[in-house]
Amino acid sequence: MIYPLLQASGWALFIGRFHPVLVHLPIGFLLVAALLEIGRRTGKINVSESAVSFVLFWSAVGATFACIAGYLLSLGGGYDEELLGDHMWQGIGVAVFAWIAWLLKSDWTAWRIPFGPKIYLPALGLATLLTFTAGHDGGSLTHGEDYLTQYTPEPFRSLAGIPPAKEQTTEIKPIANVEQAVVYKDIVQPILEQRCVQCHNESKKKGDLRMDELALLVKGGEGGPAFVAGKSAESDMIKRCLLPESDDDHMPPKGKPQLSTEQIALLSWWIDQGAPADKKVSELKVSDQVKPALASLGTGSSSSGSTKSSKSAVLSLKVPAANEKDIEALRKAGLIVNSLAQDQNLIEVSAVNAPNFDDKQMALLAPLSEQIAWLKLGDTKITDAALKEIAKLKNLNKLHLEHTAVTDAGLANLKNLAYLEYINLVDTKVGDPGLKDVASMKGLKSVYVWQSAVTDSAVSQVSKQHPDLLIVSGFNEATVAQFLQAGDSTAQKKQ
Amino acid sequence: MEKLLKELQHADLQRQTRRHFLQSCGFGLGALGLGSLLSSCGDSTAGTDISAENILAKIPQFAPKAKRVIYIHMAGAPSQLELFDYKPELVKYHGKDCPAEFLEGKKFAFIQGVPKMLGPQGKFAQYGQSGAWMSDYVPYLQTVADEITFVKSMHTDQFNHAPAQLLLHTGSARLGRPSLGAWAVYGLGSENKNLPGFIVLASGGRQPDAGKSVYGSGFLPSVYQGVQCRTGGDPVLYVTDPSGMNRNMRKQTIEAINEINRQTYEDVQDPEILTRISQYEMAFRMQMSVPEVMDVSKEPQFILDMYGVKPGEGTFAMNCLLARKLVENDVRFVQLFDWGWDGHGTSAGDNVEGGLRNKCQLSDKPIAALIQDLKMRGLLEETLIVWGAEFGRTPMQENRNGLVMPYMGRDHHLDAFTMWMAGGGVKKGYSHGETDELGYYGVKDRVHVHDLQATILHLMGFDHEKFTYPFQGRNFRLTDTEGKVVKQVIA
Repeated sequence: MIYPLLQASGWALFIGRFHPVLVHLPIGFLLVAALLEIGRRTGKINVSESAVSFVLFWSAVGATFACIAGYLLSLGGGYDEELLGDHMWQGIGVAVFAWIAWLLKSDWTAWRIPFGPKIYLPALGLATLLTFTAGHDGGSLTHGEDYLTQYTPEPFRSLAGIPPAKEQTTEIKPIANVEQAVVYKDIVQPILEQRCVQCHNESKKKGDLRMDELALLVKGGEGGPAFVAGKSAESDMIKRCLLPESDDDHMPPKGKPQLSTEQIALLSWWIDQGAPADKKVSELKVSDQVKPALASLGTGSSSSGSTKSSKSAVLSLKVPAANEKDIEALRKAGLIVNSLAQDQNLIEVSAVNAPNFDDKQMALLAPLSEQIAWLKLGDTKITDAALKEIAKLKNLNKLHLEHTAVTDAGLANLKNLAYLEYINLVDTKVGDPGLKDVASMKGLKSVYVWQSAVTDSAVSQVSKQHPDLLIVSGFNEATVAQFLQAGDSTAQKKQ
Repeated sequence: MEKLLKELQHADLQRQTRRHFLQSCGFGLGALGLGSLLSSCGDSTAGTDISAENILAKIPQFAPKAKRVIYIHMAGAPSQLELFDYKPELVKYHGKDCPAEFLEGKKFAFIQGVPKMLGPQGKFAQYGQSGAWMSDYVPYLQTVADEITFVKSMHTDQFNHAPAQLLLHTGSARLGRPSLGAWAVYGLGSENKNLPGFIVLASGGRQPDAGKSVYGSGFLPSVYQGVQCRTGGDPVLYVTDPSGMNRNMRKQTIEAINEINRQTYEDVQDPEILTRISQYEMAFRMQMSVPEVMDVSKEPQFILDMYGVKPGEGTFAMNCLLARKLVENDVRFVQLFDWGWDGHGTSAGDNVEGGLRNKCQLSDKPIAALIQDLKMRGLLEETLIVWGAEFGRTPMQENRNGLVMPYMGRDHHLDAFTMWMAGGGVKKGYSHGETDELGYYGVKDRVHVHDLQATILHLMGFDHEKFTYPFQGRNFRLTDTEGKVVKQVIA
């Protein structure tokens, strides 16, 4: 005989999906029955036995339907077998004990059962207890095992023996010595941890595949082993990464963070080298294609091209939040004040709408000496006196002084600004001594001196001393003529 | 007097047509019901606190590397195969039938049947320390090769101008979404209180095919839309006072109008009224600021020479110079459109051997000058220049209606084209992505227009997945549900 409903058909799953809805009815009913029983027995309330029996009847009916729906839902598969088994038998237990409790309470049946009153309370107690355990297992099945306790705060966390909260590994830490790194442990596994393990782990094994250990990759999932050692092109995990993102079989699924080209190159390379478990980079053949990807793992280098990390050190500074009143005072003076970015308290201040801003108003900046990172005072009335105040903005990173009256004397104050990377001195009276002063600042990356009093010879001299510093002096009549000629001559040559 | 009043009454009645009646019934009654429903859900006043003087910035997710953007759009789409994407192999295929695999399942705007391949018309060489490939079409750009990041593997979804321009600038090929510039000002705010945060300058004799929507504000409050300024004559029409009206009188007029508008706003709470108020105030301030910033007569002669402009002319070169002046005055987003790059090969003007060369001659020097000019003013580091078009052009010669064309032309091509960026946090002297040996399809590091948008937003400090605006019940973003930041181009 065939029971069509018991196959994993559309109908079965349709009804099965009602399990999470139905399951809450017996939970509620049973607890009500238990509470009524307690209240009745302690004499706190006045309810008849038939009322309790009525609630118990519907608890039992609800539990039975929840069991049926739950079984149908489980046919869809994808659950941890052991946990599912526990949950099922506890659920069935709830239904059975609820029926027993009702039988012992009902007017029709209670008197026919010997020792009835003695087993009534244990039956009700067991049904209630099983409700809790079955409910917990059900929650674990749906949301994952550590869902309930994931955010347990200290000190309860250590008291309950829960391991410390794992930080989400979104960034892979750079490797100090790539040559000596163990390929699987130090390179492959962190990539898998970052991009794959979230869905392929002990408690959640999508496609029956776990990727948290090498042996489990070899074991594979529904589609066979995750890779074929020596043949990346035939390896499922690589093939899936290379499918178009819109493809249903593409991994990681659309919308999740994807592997970078370099990461795929590294995984392919490891597989092509026979997927060794404990070989180091230096023991394997490093192809030209994988070299840049390997280099990107090292400390202090970005993925390709530039060698210097361009993120300013100042951006990782933790400074206290600015006082709103101080910011309001700046805004009243016509300055724009904006936060640099979320999660930090640095600010940028611009006087673009305050052309009359002058030395006297500089005092407004003083209370924000830690927070101001970018300061734009171009086209204002400030003079050298203002630079003494600016020198106190110890976390200053970018400074615009173009089209102001500042001179060499004022610039001498700025020497101790450790984070200053950009200074704009276009159309100022600053001359060669000023350029030399700012060039001696260690962190400085670019200085703009077009239409200032800085001479070309000083620019070339300072450039030689500080080859990493970008000094831009720009065009004048003569160099523009050269620029025009350069374009014209190449044009004519080609024609 | 009485006659005048009668006329007014009559005009008023004329305006009250049946359609108006139905409209106000439908909307009015519906709105009554809806309004009470919606008032409880969400913050209905979000984004209504706007005045042009104070378009407040949101706090970006990362510290912005590009504080301003100059987006140069070559409307019509120049051929990447003549300018930047050097394909020596294509020379060998010149005049031969297009391989069948290029045509299977593909649709083109005009190409029919089996077209012939068309070899590159420019002479290519490598320039700068970075060895960037460029042709003799762009001799001036060669001099700034080391400032530029090329993206040679761009691709898009649309092969007609208007939808492709919309997709590029608004993230959707359909109308109604805010443009990149509108998002930028919405996010980072407007700095110079006397100038709009988003200014549009067009040249080439025509507007972009997709019309004003490519710089519209979509569902964002309309204060964020691009304000188009004319390049020659009055920069903004009707912004100057008529003779006999002094500035004081103008001010009083605007104050009176704004007061009425403010009262209306209190009655109906339509945030667009706030926009209208702020536009009036902005227009009043622009009467002073715009003529000043758009006036190039005070620029030194060698600067004018550099761009190749004469005061008073309304050319692309002038727009480049104005773009520099605008970002120098802290305008957030300057959008340049230059029309006339659609090289199909149907006439002497629109082909890739002569017409394209002419367009390049008019634009190459000012673009190189713009890069140099921004650099020497210390503005290039914080200003992102984006150059490109809505799509690219085919490696095949166009054969419209199956005929041989009088000039060498290429059809619209969505699978591969080149764009470049400079300044504003992108690498200097770098080339990203590769196309196959005939330049038909990107084979390495393909970049979709949504990826480009995500990257530009990233450079401006915004995570394109978190930078959203609630509209019609869901959060919208520029890149819709797509887009990946191209980290490799970021310095």
